[in-house]
Amino acid sequence: MAHRFLDFFSSIKLTIVCLMAAIILVFAGTLAQVHYGIHEVQARYFQSLFVWWPADSTGIQLPVFPGGHLLGGVLLANLIAAHFRRFRWTWRKLGIQLTHFGLIIMLAGGLFTDLFAIESFMRLSSGETKNYSEDSRRMELAIIDQSGSELDTVTAIPESMLKSGGAINHESLPFKLLIRHFYPNTELRMLDGKTNLSPAATQGVGSRVAALPLPLATAPNSRDVPAAVVEIVPRQGDRSLGTWLVSELLGAPQTFDAAGKTWKLTMRPARYYKPYSLTLEKFSHDRYVGTEIAKNFSSKVKLNDLDRSENRNVLIYMNHPLRYRGDTFYQAGFEKNDEATVLQVVHNPTFVAPYLACVIVGAGLLIQFAFQFSGFLRRRESASSSL
Amino acid sequence: MIQKTTLFALGALLAVLLFPSCNNKQGIQVYRVSKEAAPPENTGMPAMDGNSSMPSMTGAAAPGGESAIISTPPAGWEPQPPSSMRLASFLVKGDNGAVADISLIALGGGAGGVLENVNRWYSQLGQPAITQENLAQTAKHVPSMFGDVMLVDIEGKPAEGAAEKDGRIIGGIVPGEGRTMFFKMRGNTVLAEAQKQNFIKWIGSVRPEEPAGGGVPGMPTASAGMTGAAVPAPEETGASPKIKWEAPDSWKPVPATQMRYATFAITGQNGETADLSISVFPGEAGGDLQNVNRWRDQIGLEPVADIKTLAVPLTGKTGEILTLDMLGSKGRMLVGWTRKNGNTWFFKMTGPDQLTAGEKERFVKFLQSVEYPQ
Repeated sequence: MAHRFLDFFSSIKLTIVCLMAAIILVFAGTLAQVHYGIHEVQARYFQSLFVWWPADSTGIQLPVFPGGHLLGGVLLANLIAAHFRRFRWTWRKLGIQLTHFGLIIMLAGGLFTDLFAIESFMRLSSGETKNYSEDSRRMELAIIDQSGSELDTVTAIPESMLKSGGAINHESLPFKLLIRHFYPNTELRMLDGKTNLSPAATQGVGSRVAALPLPLATAPNSRDVPAAVVEIVPRQGDRSLGTWLVSELLGAPQTFDAAGKTWKLTMRPARYYKPYSLTLEKFSHDRYVGTEIAKNFSSKVKLNDLDRSENRNVLIYMNHPLRYRGDTFYQAGFEKNDEATVLQVVHNPTFVAPYLACVIVGAGLLIQFAFQFSGFLRRRESASSSL
Repeated sequence: MIQKTTLFALGALLAVLLFPSCNNKQGIQVYRVSKEAAPPENTGMPAMDGNSSMPSMTGAAAPGGESAIISTPPAGWEPQPPSSMRLASFLVKGDNGAVADISLIALGGGAGGVLENVNRWYSQLGQPAITQENLAQTAKHVPSMFGDVMLVDIEGKPAEGAAEKDGRIIGGIVPGEGRTMFFKMRGNTVLAEAQKQNFIKWIGSVRPEEPAGGGVPGMPTASAGMTGAAVPAPEETGASPKIKWEAPDSWKPVPATQMRYATFAITGQNGETADLSISVFPGEAGGDLQNVNRWRDQIGLEPVADIKTLAVPLTGKTGEILTLDMLGSKGRMLVGWTRKNGNTWFFKMTGPDQLTAGEKERFVKFLQSVEYPQ
């Protein structure tokens, strides 16, 4: 049984089938971007075990094709199985072994990056200090208890838990949140005077604006702006505090009173807090003489880490990121007339994998070439001496 | 042995594949963080006296992700407490109990578009909706720190209220990056008319609160003013040479665009606007004749064969500047240009005839005040 299992996984036929399926998947995924946009397609086609159909249905869905994770995983298994199955240690096979080992590291690194890497952004105005970065796509509903004298207690509910008709009943909150509506993408309209639109909520800003659902954003440079209407129901007593509209479009948090405390309610990009902080000392936007064409962007930041007694200036610019505590900060953009910088923050525990894989594969190919070349020279020498 | 190792490796891989949610991206998180610095609160204080040029801080963090804004309210405008939607709010009172309410609201996204919101205002005063073409013909354009504000002036009878009390809306909309801003004055018809120019000036004065560590490059603060003082040109970190000038108070700096070193917006008494651009190019920048004919074409003039008789030399602080005053079917253009240290500097004011001609004296003084790096 184990033999048949290994025969199947180490088969070259399996490799070819997986590679062909991968070609079809990439082709179908590329076409699907027209309807779903690049990020949705990545999630549905490539970051999944199966491609499910129908895609938009909330009813029964069937797996119609292997997804990127499954194909990549089977290819990786195929490579590992073939590698160990046919493993015969000789010096002449060293190049081949190293090349295969490098490919295994590359595939495994890709899988782990997909599963564990977090990509976010840190926006800093001149002089501003932050100890968190923000997700560029995922939102969170933050409920902030401000009653502490020095610290706020934040309950952050990820956007994925906000489903229409759902409820959030968490021990950290003295009230329940009933999700009356969730709109994956929205536009807000002002309401004052005559209008056919209805207020989105009964309390706060939502009582003066309407929330209009929009189709999901598909353009590469656009993103969805979700909104939700939540009803706040205290645990003690059953008097509802009304419905509240939450959306990133509203910007400023709204406040309400419950259980003798004042709370803040806001939908904001999901935050990733760090055990250190960065302060933007200066952002520089160099231009070519006489034009507004960009030549270089750089951010001089102060890194402050009390735990490790770090307090130093760092210059972040193109191809010179800051790497600290597993995070990598790249210069990504600027805002507010060059008064604010945008740093891309990548937390990837396996970021070394592709570098290591390239070195090992390169070394393997070089060794293999050296053996082949020396054999060729020997054969040529013996052929010429036999003439 | 090898088979066991292989099976173990495959089993581990399968476990990883079937457990995709083993990352830490999901689930409710509860944590404690230091209190964030609160945005500036509205002081609720009226401007010191009617003529004070001290900027008033209005509003908390704004809807649409804007930070607080600073504006210079005209005399007699009483700041009102901010609300969850209003970035700035004022009340102005006239004779016989007349009042007008002035507000600035920012909403994230497109907020339905300019035309729809203008028609919402029309509907509030019982007026029929207008078309995009009507809007293009009737709306005026007012420059602001947030971009070109499309301004409409509507009179009518509100559905609930009296025309003489609440029958006029002067509103401006400026869609921007990720948010739409609404400037609105609504109230008594006569009072709104009397306050219209103040309202337009106020729109031009509104700007985001300066971030800590310095202002917007090239944008002097309202409290610093511009009169008399040599204001440094946009502080650039690149290799562009830096120049200094003295510009009149009435010229409002707006963010420079691609290929422009700096830009000013000039607003006339009736809301008409002129644009002054400053740009610099290396070398001869195409030659004088070609440039002059390009400018002439822009205002509807025929090209000329020679500019010797047209260009008027002017003596500035650091050398000679050639100037032109051209009137065409599409407006008037005042131009000055000079060559310094291998670069050609261009100063170009374009706008309606009357406004641009009225600014000519100030334009000349401005050109004479420019100091170039040696």
